[in-house]
Amino acid sequence: MRAWRAALAPFPAAEAADRLGASAASPGSVHILGVDRAKWAALLFVAPLLLFLIVVYVVPFVGVAAWSVTLPSPGLGQYQRLAGDPLVASVFLRTLRVCATVTALSVAAAYAIAYVWVRGTRWQRRLTELCILIPFWISVLTRAFGWLAVLSNRGLLNTWLEAAGLIDGPLQLAHNGFGVVVGMTHMLIPFAAFPLASAMRAVDERVLLAARGLGASRLRIFWQVFLPMTRSGVIGAAVILFVFSLGFFITPAILGGGRSVMASELVYLRMFQSPDWGFGAAISVALVVVVGVLLGSLYRYAKPALLGEGGR
Amino acid sequence: MNGAFEKDCLEILAAKAERGEISRRRFTQLAAVVAAGAPLALRAGAARAADKQLVMVNWGGDAIKAYDAAYGQPFFKETGIVVKQDGTGPTEGAITAQFKSGKPTWDLVDADPFSAISLGKQGMIEPIDYKIVDKSKMRPGFGWDYAASTYFFSYIIVYDAQKFGASPPKGMADFFDVKTFPGKRSLYKWGAGMWEAALLADGVARDKLYPLDLKRAHDKIAALKPDIVSFWGGGAESQQVMLSGDASMALIWSTRASILDRDSKGQIKFIWDQGLISPGALAVIKNNPGGTEAAMRFIASTSDPQKQLIMFQMLGQGPANPATDALIPSDQRKFNPVDPENFKKQIALDMPWYSENYGAALDAYTKVISA
Repeated sequence: MRAWRAALAPFPAAEAADRLGASAASPGSVHILGVDRAKWAALLFVAPLLLFLIVVYVVPFVGVAAWSVTLPSPGLGQYQRLAGDPLVASVFLRTLRVCATVTALSVAAAYAIAYVWVRGTRWQRRLTELCILIPFWISVLTRAFGWLAVLSNRGLLNTWLEAAGLIDGPLQLAHNGFGVVVGMTHMLIPFAAFPLASAMRAVDERVLLAARGLGASRLRIFWQVFLPMTRSGVIGAAVILFVFSLGFFITPAILGGGRSVMASELVYLRMFQSPDWGFGAAISVALVVVVGVLLGSLYRYAKPALLGEGGR
Repeated sequence: MNGAFEKDCLEILAAKAERGEISRRRFTQLAAVVAAGAPLALRAGAARAADKQLVMVNWGGDAIKAYDAAYGQPFFKETGIVVKQDGTGPTEGAITAQFKSGKPTWDLVDADPFSAISLGKQGMIEPIDYKIVDKSKMRPGFGWDYAASTYFFSYIIVYDAQKFGASPPKGMADFFDVKTFPGKRSLYKWGAGMWEAALLADGVARDKLYPLDLKRAHDKIAALKPDIVSFWGGGAESQQVMLSGDASMALIWSTRASILDRDSKGQIKFIWDQGLISPGALAVIKNNPGGTEAAMRFIASTSDPQKQLIMFQMLGQGPANPATDALIPSDQRKFNPVDPENFKKQIALDMPWYSENYGAALDAYTKVISA
């Protein structure tokens, strides 16, 4: 809704209402059932998406939530089990920790990449674009095994380091938390680079020129002008990445050596390997609640970026 | 307008369905659309064709090709029933989901016998009809009420021959002994076979394994954990961890061990000693769309030694019918997990124990390995 209103913002309120074909009696004004007409129009545009989400996401999720209180017997027994299960607690903590680390690293790396992509020379821009897009098109599995080929004991990295005489024995780089973070960061960088690049493109060049004209150093322009203007892009990218990373399954499973079990894999375990749908459903619901609470508290900061109001 | 074009469309569709390019059920759906005005006889023909299909669900990859070549195509020639291969992976949860949907689209599943047994007790699996399926063509002890033995694989030790070539490991005690056999280890992520390995290493006699002492097994595995580089979840991972040198010894499927032995040019070898034989089986989902009898007839058809030989050659699976063993060329017998020579060195997993206890045991195992 805010985005819709923002689009109208350059016009005086009365003129906006006029453009919508309303009488300009009071600013922004025609109300239907007590709701602004502009909002009704916006709702109409959003409705198909909402309907789609309800059908493919909300309805099945309500079904899953229902399992958590009905299987194997009605009641909150599964949630009691969940609260008292040290495995679930440790897996959730690990998931949140890994995802926060990966999000921070990916956004930082993507920021640098997007900066070159948007503001570099023509060749730098082309090269960056290829470096973002080509891995983006390669399958998750291929990339995970690719990282194994690089990071394992007889992998490229260890072989080179040993040949160069920098290390005596191979470093343990895969089959642990390190490998998971590397693999997931690599997966996620493009997803942050796109929104960051669009936030950076929205920065008005004239503002930067003005800062330069007023004698600010390049570093100062970056820290005090450019970065604040893309701040909401950063937060938006971080939120998208964090939520996305929580659902990662294949990458941690392959690069983590089976020891860094993450939340989605725990759900898989309870749904498929040792079927206990009630418990698996309870874990899913708990994960959604944790994410919901985290996002709810971040929403105020992330909202402008998520709704595309840019840094203006 | 006498429906010639529609008839032609149907013929094209039918030919595609014959060749298995589209499923019979899809054929009927398309036919119904095309033939809305076609003669009744034609439509009846299409409906009859729809009965003649079985969907067999396995674990994907090369298995799809192998099952089709060894069992699917010959069965179609003998009976006219098309067997479609689906590589979704019939986990216990997925089979449950199929059954609970009320309208399963799967007929046959390549399932763990213990899953089939436990699902069968919950009424989700058809009992095997041993009037159609010949139990005498199976190894004794491997025909269950709800699952018919179709192949074997083992959890066996593979080792880095560059490291241990001079004095290779001889059993599970050596696998857990990182002083004499230094280097990292890799174990199976989903527990099966690993408890037995730990208990054998800890000195439990092979005939005293069941019921498994999980506490003792988990203590043994927990003690090895600093030396475990990974818990592999799939065959490709298990091969990779050995080829990359990340592990010097691993407990992996014999099918993958054979590939490693052939492809690594002697760098990675395996032993059958104290290997843990795991049976694979076919089971039929209750109320399966293709009909129980057709599914049972398909299972019966898989006991043919010639067909099982193809499965061995394509996937390295040990044959369910002991008559197949002799058909395997002598230079390949060392790869057959149930060849009499290899069988006697190993121990078979106890499927009834797994059907009762696997879920809880896997839970406890996951806690140990991810702690």
